[in-house]
Amino acid sequence: MTLPAAIFVLRWLIRDTFRQALASRTFWLMVSVTGLCTLFCLSVRIDGPRSLTPEGEIELYGGDKQPLTGANPNPGSMTVGFGALRYTLFRDAEAEVRFLHSFLALWVAGAIGTLAALIWTAGFLPAFLEPSAASVLLAKPAPRWLLLTGKFVAVIAFVGFQEAIFFLATWSALGVRTGIWSPGYLLCIPLLLLQFTIIYSFSALLAVYTRNTVVCVFGSLIFWFVCYAMNFGRHETLAMPVLDPTVPALPTSVQDSVEVGYWILPKPGDVLILLDTALDAKEDFDPLPPSFRLVQTPAQPLSPELGTVLATGAFQTNEGAMGIPVPPQVFAEATYLSLQASQQGRGAFHPELSVLSSLLFAAMVLAVAVRQFATTDY
Amino acid sequence: MSTSAVAEFEGVVKDYPAGLLRRRTLRAVDEVSFRLEPGEVLALLGPNRAGKTTLVKILLCLCGPTSGHVSRLGRPANDRRTLAKVGYVHEHPAFPRYLTAAGLLEYYGALSLIPFEEVRRRIPPLLERVGLSDRSQEPIARFSKGMVQRLAVAQALINEPDLLVLDEPHEGLDPAGRRLVADLIREQRREGRTVLLVSHVLSEVEQLCDRVAVLAGGRLVHLGPLSSLTRDPATGATRPLEDALRPLYEISA
Repeated sequence: MTLPAAIFVLRWLIRDTFRQALASRTFWLMVSVTGLCTLFCLSVRIDGPRSLTPEGEIELYGGDKQPLTGANPNPGSMTVGFGALRYTLFRDAEAEVRFLHSFLALWVAGAIGTLAALIWTAGFLPAFLEPSAASVLLAKPAPRWLLLTGKFVAVIAFVGFQEAIFFLATWSALGVRTGIWSPGYLLCIPLLLLQFTIIYSFSALLAVYTRNTVVCVFGSLIFWFVCYAMNFGRHETLAMPVLDPTVPALPTSVQDSVEVGYWILPKPGDVLILLDTALDAKEDFDPLPPSFRLVQTPAQPLSPELGTVLATGAFQTNEGAMGIPVPPQVFAEATYLSLQASQQGRGAFHPELSVLSSLLFAAMVLAVAVRQFATTDY
Repeated sequence: MSTSAVAEFEGVVKDYPAGLLRRRTLRAVDEVSFRLEPGEVLALLGPNRAGKTTLVKILLCLCGPTSGHVSRLGRPANDRRTLAKVGYVHEHPAFPRYLTAAGLLEYYGALSLIPFEEVRRRIPPLLERVGLSDRSQEPIARFSKGMVQRLAVAQALINEPDLLVLDEPHEGLDPAGRRLVADLIREQRREGRTVLLVSHVLSEVEQLCDRVAVLAGGRLVHLGPLSSLTRDPATGATRPLEDALRPLYEISA
C-alpha cells in the first residue's frame, strides 16, 4: 500500500472514530465537564498583588510591597462563582492561578479525565475487532496493521482533541479573567496525552487478545496502577537514603530489580513530575533549599525556617513561620518536590529518557498487538 | 496455477486448533480444489459445518489456509490489493450503529480506496437500488434486520466488484428483498462479473447458478453444472435440487 493510500485510510479511521465518539453520551458528558470548568474559570476574580516575588529572588514581600516582617497586611482575595464565594489569598495572584491550573490539570483532566477516557474508549477497539463487524472491514484492501494502528491513532487523536478543548478553554477563561497567561499550562496537553497513549496501548493489546471491554477496562487500570507503583517505588528507593539516613537501605538485589522494573515499564509518575514542572508549580517552593530534609540529623540539621514550621505545627493551621502562610497541601507539595529535587540532584531522574522509554514500551506493546491481529483467523 | 480464473483453490486444507489446550486440530476444509471462472455464478452448497464459510474466509484473506494455494483475481490470495475489486456480504453483518446508511457506504468505500467524490456519486443510485434511498440519513441503529441486510448488499457493491462473494445473503430478507438479491446476481452475471453464492435457499440456487460446488465434511463432493445434479442419472428426468443433494449431504452425517 502506498503512503498516500495509507494516509487516506487513516483519515477515514479518524473520521469514523470521531463519529463513534460523537454518537456517545459520554462525549457530551465530557463536553459538559469542560463547559462547567470553563464557566468556573470565567467566574474567578482575583483582587490583590499579581506577584510577591521580585525576579530572581525568593518571596520577601507582602501585598503592600514591603518586606515581610509579620502578618501580611494586604493579602488580596479571590472570588469564585461570580462573587458568590470569597476567600483570602494565601499568596499572590500568580500563585492562585497556578493552584487553579494544578487542580484542573492534575485532578480534573489528569486523574478524572484520564480515567473517564480510558473507561470510555476501552470499548472502541473490542467493538471494532468483533468478528461480525471486522470481517467486512478485513475483506477490504487496507492491511490489518493499518486498520489496528489507524484505529489506535484515531482514539489518541480524539482524546487529544478533547484535552485540547479543555485546556484551551480553561486557560483562555482564566487568562481573560486574571490577566495571567501561563503557557506551561498548555504543555499539559501533550503530557497527558502521552500518559493516555501508554495506558491505551496496553488496552489495545488486551482488546486484540480478548475482544472484551470489561477486560480492557480493568486490565488497563491495573496496568496503570502497577506502573505508578513501580515508578514511585523506584523514586522512593533512591530518595529515602538521602532524605532520611536513619532508614535502613534495601538489599542490593531488591534495588536492582526495582531499577530494572522502572526502566522496562512506562512511567506515568514521571509524567506527573513533568506536569508539575510544566505548571511552574515548583516556583512556589523555591525558598526550600536543595538540601531540604524532613528528618533532622546531627550532621544535617533542619533549616531554621522549616524547623520553626515543623516545631510549631503551624503549617497545619495555615500560619507559617515569619508570617508566611503554609497550607497543608503546600507543605505536602513541598515534600514531594523535595523528593524530586533530591532525585534530580543525584541524576536519577532523566525526563527525556523517561519519556522515550515509556514511548518505546507503548510502541512495543502495540507491535505485539498488531502482530497478533495480523495473524488471527476471522 | 492458471491466471485466467477469477479465483482458484488448489489442495486447500484448513485446520483449526481445538480442545482445552488447543493441541488437537479440527479439519474444516480438506484438500479442496476448484476454479471460479469469469462471469459465472457458482453456488457453494453443503450442510452446516461443511466448511463453506471457512473457504470463503480463506478466499477473502480473513484466515489463511493450513496448506494449499489460493489465488484471487490472478494474484495470490494474500495480496490484499485485489480485495479492492471484491465485494463481500457477511452471513451476519454487524455495522457500526452510530453511522447512517450513507455514512457507512462512504466509510467502506474509502476503505476500498475509492476516491471520496466517486463514492459520493455512487451512493444515491446504490441506496435506490436496495430500496433504502429514503433512509439514507437514518442511523443504522434504527434499521431492521432486513434493512441491514440490504445495506450489506449495497456496501458489497460500492466498489463495483469483479468478484462478488455472498455468504447467505437471504438471511432476514422478506420476499421483496430476496427478489432484489436475485435481480442483483442476474445483473452481475449480465455485466460479466463473477458471483460466489453460499446459500441454503435452494430455489434461488436453482434459478441463479451456473455451477454448483457441494462440500460435505470439509471435502468437495460434487462440482459441476447445476444440471449434473438435477438430472436423475437413472431416468434422465429432472429432479428437485433438494433430492439430489440429500445423498451428498449424508456423506458428512
